[in-house]
Amino acid sequence: MNRRTLLRGVLGGTAVGLGLPLLDCMLDTNGTALASGGALPVRFGLFFWGNGVVPDQWVPEGTGTGWVASPELAPLDPLRSVITVVSGMSMRLPNIHPHSSGAAGILSGAPVLVDNPSSFSAPSIDQIIAAEVGGNTLYRSLQTASTDISGLSFNGPNSKNPAESDPYALYERLFGPTFVEPGGTAVVDPRLGLRRSVLDAVMGDITTLQGRLGASDRTRLDQHLTGVRELETRLARLQEDPTDLEACVSPDAPLPSFPDLEGRPQLQERNRAMAKLLAMACACDQTRVFGHYFTEPINDVLFTGASAGHHDLTHNEPGSQPEVHAITVQCMEAYAAFVEEFQAIPEGGATLLDSCAILGATEHSLGRTHSVDDLPLLIAGSACGQIVNGVHHRGVGQDNVSKVALTLVRACGVLLPTFGVDDAQTSDGLSEIEV
Amino acid sequence: MRFVLPALLFACSTPPEEPPPIRGAAPAGTPYEPTFRRLTESQYRHAIADLFAVPGEPSDGTAIVLPANLEPDVAVDELLSLGSAVTTISPYGVEQYETAAFQVAEQVLGDPASWAHLVPCTPTAVRDDACARQVLEPLGLRVWRRPLTVAELDALVDLAGTSAETLGSFEEGLEYPLALLLQSPYFLYRVEIGENGFFTDYELASRLSFFLWDTVPDAALLEAAAAGELTTETGLAVQVDRMLADDRARAGLRNLFTDLYKLYRLDRISKDPAIFNAYSPELKASAREETLLGIEHLVFERDASYRELFTTRITFLDRGLAALYGVKAPARDGFGGVQLPEELGRAGVLGHASLLMLEAHAVSSSVTKRGVFVRTNLLCQEIPPPPADVDTSIPEPSPDAPTMRERVAVHLQEPVCAGCHRLTDPIGLGLENFDGIGAWRESENGAQIDASGDLEGYTFTTPVGLGHAIANHENLGKCLVDRLFATAVGRSPGRGDPLLEWHEEGFENEGQRVLWLLRDLVMSPAFRQVGEVR
Repeated sequence: MNRRTLLRGVLGGTAVGLGLPLLDCMLDTNGTALASGGALPVRFGLFFWGNGVVPDQWVPEGTGTGWVASPELAPLDPLRSVITVVSGMSMRLPNIHPHSSGAAGILSGAPVLVDNPSSFSAPSIDQIIAAEVGGNTLYRSLQTASTDISGLSFNGPNSKNPAESDPYALYERLFGPTFVEPGGTAVVDPRLGLRRSVLDAVMGDITTLQGRLGASDRTRLDQHLTGVRELETRLARLQEDPTDLEACVSPDAPLPSFPDLEGRPQLQERNRAMAKLLAMACACDQTRVFGHYFTEPINDVLFTGASAGHHDLTHNEPGSQPEVHAITVQCMEAYAAFVEEFQAIPEGGATLLDSCAILGATEHSLGRTHSVDDLPLLIAGSACGQIVNGVHHRGVGQDNVSKVALTLVRACGVLLPTFGVDDAQTSDGLSEIEV
Repeated sequence: MRFVLPALLFACSTPPEEPPPIRGAAPAGTPYEPTFRRLTESQYRHAIADLFAVPGEPSDGTAIVLPANLEPDVAVDELLSLGSAVTTISPYGVEQYETAAFQVAEQVLGDPASWAHLVPCTPTAVRDDACARQVLEPLGLRVWRRPLTVAELDALVDLAGTSAETLGSFEEGLEYPLALLLQSPYFLYRVEIGENGFFTDYELASRLSFFLWDTVPDAALLEAAAAGELTTETGLAVQVDRMLADDRARAGLRNLFTDLYKLYRLDRISKDPAIFNAYSPELKASAREETLLGIEHLVFERDASYRELFTTRITFLDRGLAALYGVKAPARDGFGGVQLPEELGRAGVLGHASLLMLEAHAVSSSVTKRGVFVRTNLLCQEIPPPPADVDTSIPEPSPDAPTMRERVAVHLQEPVCAGCHRLTDPIGLGLENFDGIGAWRESENGAQIDASGDLEGYTFTTPVGLGHAIANHENLGKCLVDRLFATAVGRSPGRGDPLLEWHEEGFENEGQRVLWLLRDLVMSPAFRQVGEVR
């Protein structure tokens, strides 16, 4: 089956509602599938860092497979065969709120809310994908951060999925007492059933109450109801024996805390701890969608070796901004370390990373001017052979960045006719990086 | 923990006058639509502490351990209280509520003193519906802040019974209805819809307690609601006066100003200790406490004008802050009241380390951030975001431009920048004697700091002078009314709302006394009347 041909046929016509099965890696390179006989799912991840880059130090020389790593991409050179570098793309919506407009435009294809610029007005890419594929797993998506921030995952207006920034708390949640390794048997505990009864009653209360509320508050409670329903489903699954997944093992517990050292956060250490947990959460099929926020837009984090906070430096460091450059290199090192944790897990004759597409993004290119042209973008993993890795693609004429998002959404099996609104809208993916 | 000031500090204050019980008729306004607010994290934590406090035991909120993480609150229109009316809860947040509910249930039911307080009967069997009913009926009333319907109570009792039978224990069985009460939207949200255009007695009980106390109604307030007293003018006044005289009103006031001044952000800022030797993470907590104690003192001990918050030299310091400010610590342990010497050059809340370190960078002060804070959060003036695609850098320090005043001059010359920076930077420059954590400095890069400027025609030469300029600004009082009105009703008031203007005028006429304002707002038609559900 040629999936892209099928997608094109569908999208070119009107049969958008066609029920294409969730896209899986049909077979691994040895012609075998998972030990359980199932197929490998495609996983989507976002790795976000804040405050942009120094574009003339980030954009690599040469395109296609012959690209030469720029100073800021040097940390990714060892991974070049499994990553895709995209430059030359633009966020085409009005850049009204510095940082926020860029983040919302790139990740959701839509502007921020007029009366609350801290919120997207449309779902972010991870939730567009999670809405379709998230129901298959314990967690619709997981959101994590390397600093104490809430991230940029939105279900819609004023509806954020806050990130967990404590690796130990994430470990407890995913691999704590309720976790059973493949081959084990589910714990029989009558309390699980009673907790489900409680949640059923909560859902009853929510539904009753909705009838008395206005439209917008009903919608807010819909979101609450979704959360309760997901929790109830999760408890039900805990009562079942775990699926046999070859790569799934209980990981070591991370350190209980990562205190600041000399007033500087242990960003890289937290980043790696979160990456290990997220990678195993994917290998154990607890989720197929995640967002990880290394740092956030406008962050003023004191990076190692920097004389001031990151945001402060992007605006106030003179000249060629060697300090901002050094910080960007640290962000790229973090992306490399993050990706390596997925590469380190063998799965289906290849690695976990092969079934992933991990988008690396930030809210603008040059921090000093908040420019949303020539945006720096990275993709690690091929989403089961659907994304061309190893290349640098440079968009021509400040091409629409929404194309990248649409390519990724479709690679994850979501039949989306268009991505983005207004000038950011596209019905085409970035065909140059599609297999 | 309360602090008694030396008597001399009170020499200039007059004893507070009794506010008149009810003032003249309010103008007719359009009632605001109902709101449906989720408890803020602060309200949730206060509610749990109060609901399960055991009489005779300390009720300082430390008795019950809650998860460290709950869904974070989001500010909308600068207020967490407004965010709570429009944001949604995430699946992770729902999960955290479930964890917290069972954590509370286990602790409460596992503690003998707490058990004796909540369970007035001795179960005669593993399943004892009558006893469960005796527990759940009064508890349900307090947790949901209204009487349970017959069907609701029956369902809870049945859940207790089936849980007890499943687990073979009456005690363990009670955990489940308790966890249900705590996960239900009737606890987690404030259902305030009204009947025939007026909030009901029980809805008013919740509105009063969350606004004035930042927690659930107490037994007396629920009794007043049951007796129908809150929907009468005099009955309401009796409860409001009782509430404002209660210590919980201090917690309420602290919450209002933590939100208004966004002091919660102190948890998230970091400073470079290599540059600020006096800095430590503990200093942030101390700085927040200084500001909250100062506001408490101004409002409750002195019932003084809000303007004085910007000029007073009375403040509360612990050892760390005293060292930062260069004065003798007023107390050996903890905080003590002190009147700062005039020659120190520090007065008012804008001389507090809390705001000075919040509105600054990790390694330096920020004239723009400080100016934006004063304009936005103290004077309710809207400063648009900087245009994107503009080079925002300012020149490095140099012999020609040693201090921030010369360096930001470029903002004021570039037409595209000047529009806004003319509003913000002169205010921030007036605070340049304070570095990025609030320590005093006379010079920068060897040059004397010039803190002079003017605010809408009121000239000043020092940070203390700037404090007076803000205290005398015509927007200061109006802005406080606007923000507290918004918090009280759960919506940003419409400009030109005659009721808002009525409160503004009253506040001004009453000498900008915050206690008077709190009372005026909850007695207001805006607080008691409600529009149609849309």
